[in-house]
Amino acid sequence: MSQIWKYVRVTPSGGRVRGVPARSSTTSISLPGTPDHLSSQSTLILRFVMSIMEHNGGSVVAMAGKNCVAIACDLRLGAGAQTIATNFEKIFPVTDRMYLGLAGLASDVVTLREKFRYLTNMFLIKESRPLEPSTFAHLVSSTLYERRFGPYFCEPVLAGLERTPSGSYKPYIVGTDLIGCLNFAKDFIVTGTASDKLFGVAEGLWEPDLEPEDLFETISQTLMNAVDRDAYSGWGAVVHVITPDKVITRTLKGRMD
Amino acid sequence: MECSFALTGKDYVLVAADTTSARSIIKMKIDEDKIKTLSPHLLMAYSGEPGDTVQFAEYIERNIRLYHIRNLYPLRPQSAAAWIRRSLAESLRSRHPYSVNLLVGGFDTADQSPHLYWIDYLGTMATVPYAAHGYGSYFASSLLDRYHNPDGTLEEGLATLRRAIDETSKRLIVAPGKYMVKVVDKDGIREIEL
Amino acid sequence: MEAISHAGTVLGVLAKDGVVLAAEKKVTGKLLDLSEAKQGGYGGSGEKIFLLNSNVIGGVAGLTADGNSLINYARSAAQQHLLNYNEDIPVELLAQRLCDLKQGYTQYGGLRPFGVSLLYAGYDPHYQFQLYHSDPSGNYSGWKATCIGANNGTAQSLLKQEYKDDITVEDAIGLVVRTMSKTMDSTTLGSEKLEFAVLTLDPETKEPKAKIYRPVEVDALLVKHGLAKKDEDTEMKTA
Repeated sequence: MSQIWKYVRVTPSGGRVRGVPARSSTTSISLPGTPDHLSSQSTLILRFVMSIMEHNGGSVVAMAGKNCVAIACDLRLGAGAQTIATNFEKIFPVTDRMYLGLAGLASDVVTLREKFRYLTNMFLIKESRPLEPSTFAHLVSSTLYERRFGPYFCEPVLAGLERTPSGSYKPYIVGTDLIGCLNFAKDFIVTGTASDKLFGVAEGLWEPDLEPEDLFETISQTLMNAVDRDAYSGWGAVVHVITPDKVITRTLKGRMD
Repeated sequence: MECSFALTGKDYVLVAADTTSARSIIKMKIDEDKIKTLSPHLLMAYSGEPGDTVQFAEYIERNIRLYHIRNLYPLRPQSAAAWIRRSLAESLRSRHPYSVNLLVGGFDTADQSPHLYWIDYLGTMATVPYAAHGYGSYFASSLLDRYHNPDGTLEEGLATLRRAIDETSKRLIVAPGKYMVKVVDKDGIREIEL
Repeated sequence: MEAISHAGTVLGVLAKDGVVLAAEKKVTGKLLDLSEAKQGGYGGSGEKIFLLNSNVIGGVAGLTADGNSLINYARSAAQQHLLNYNEDIPVELLAQRLCDLKQGYTQYGGLRPFGVSLLYAGYDPHYQFQLYHSDPSGNYSGWKATCIGANNGTAQSLLKQEYKDDITVEDAIGLVVRTMSKTMDSTTLGSEKLEFAVLTLDPETKEPKAKIYRPVEVDALLVKHGLAKKDEDTEMKTA
């Protein structure tokens, strides 16, 4: 997803995929030694192509700790390279013990947020029992898969505490791709334009059984250092640490450029 | 080429849009009003694909008006913006999406506060203190970052707006010649000569 | 209409800083399973008072099954509004939504209208705190204090005498409890016969806060107003 320079086949008609905004630079660069196994009808060129997933930028990361979980996002909203707003939160509360992060196309972030709020409220009305993360994860998955052949351009991350039959809570974090394939993890989940950098930093900093304050430090350092190397994410961050009895929410300032 | 700007100040929102109507490289009209009055305290500047713009703006205008007639009070700016955004987001995945970019500015009479929303044709919505669409945004954004004052008086807001427009006129090859400026505050909407 | 006049009383009082709703439960008994009611679910104390949305509480008088169906409809309508406009549904609009539905059943033959009257206690930024009443025909009206169900005439006249325009929520709670104790058939007042709810603004967030009292809280409230069960022995012991 994070490949910015791409070989693009250009046909005389200039065929462009409908519904996908053309975010290519105006001048295309011809490539020396273009592979010429293509017909003369179309040419293969290297172009600055921005996928729709990167159009608005933004990243989300979630981490599991000891009896707690944390989830954090950056605050940038862009339109390509231009920054539009620096107050765009990508994490939303679902219940007292569960937050959902959405990275990807900002339009779909808002649409999905509203849709999930509607679906969870309807669940509470009809079932009159608390919504658990494992239940909600499958709701997210099936909602996204409903649009299998015209997906929402969003990769959600879910962080919450699952209630066990004994009455205690255990950390639950899960991510999905844009068509709802669930990806469970014991350690951390990353998504967004800085996901590759987040993987690296998280791999280095995360360790098992972190207490809430240590988990806060770990996730904050992970996100801040990753987005500093990503032009499409940044402009501060919001971190939520979820414990059985409370949620700690903090807004961070970073390199504001 | 089309440019629109907007900014909030203390108790008001200023919205400005150029007044040219062009087909390709030809100017067809230089006194087009591209800022719709949606309700007594709500303004919407629109730009984008000719044809789509007016069609979509009128659709929004009539629906917001209908809500006002049915309920005796108009939608609040936040709610109107959320509904407009959804209309565009749904349109994006339809057979013929509207290519329309919007700046929605309003004054909430319930809590006496100004609101401004940046909305693009994808259905992206941002709540912002100042905003711009079109080529003008490349010049205006940085100026507004530097000079915008969220608690500024109307005179101060107009001076900042004039800065943004002057810079665009100076540096942009295809700068529009004339702008229409409207303001919305507790007393409603009125046009202002810049 | 007949069913409603026999149904348990539901009473509402509008104050300047909140709305109060109380209801008399008819289905009682030792063997009734109240575990669901105690938990509250989405927000309801079981029989007559329900949370329709985060800013509206509803009180129902009439056929219980019809009431449940309307409650469900109201909750869905409120969520649909939230989805479309990203705001809590205005109280009057929610009342209108239900009345549109109810009116539909009066216009066409073959179907029976909903045998339900409702009170809506709510808040929105347009008109602040509000209290509405709707009947099976689909008529609705706004009130400062009103009552539906059995003995609503007596309650209405009591409210008319005692209501003051700038009443506070605390005074309204007292007024409601006193009026309920006078209108209810039974001489004893307790959580097994009474449902109670208050809507106020959260002092910090300025968002509407609905509180549907749990049975223990209802009992505590009755003790506070000196209207608890007339059981001399227990009263002596607690005192």
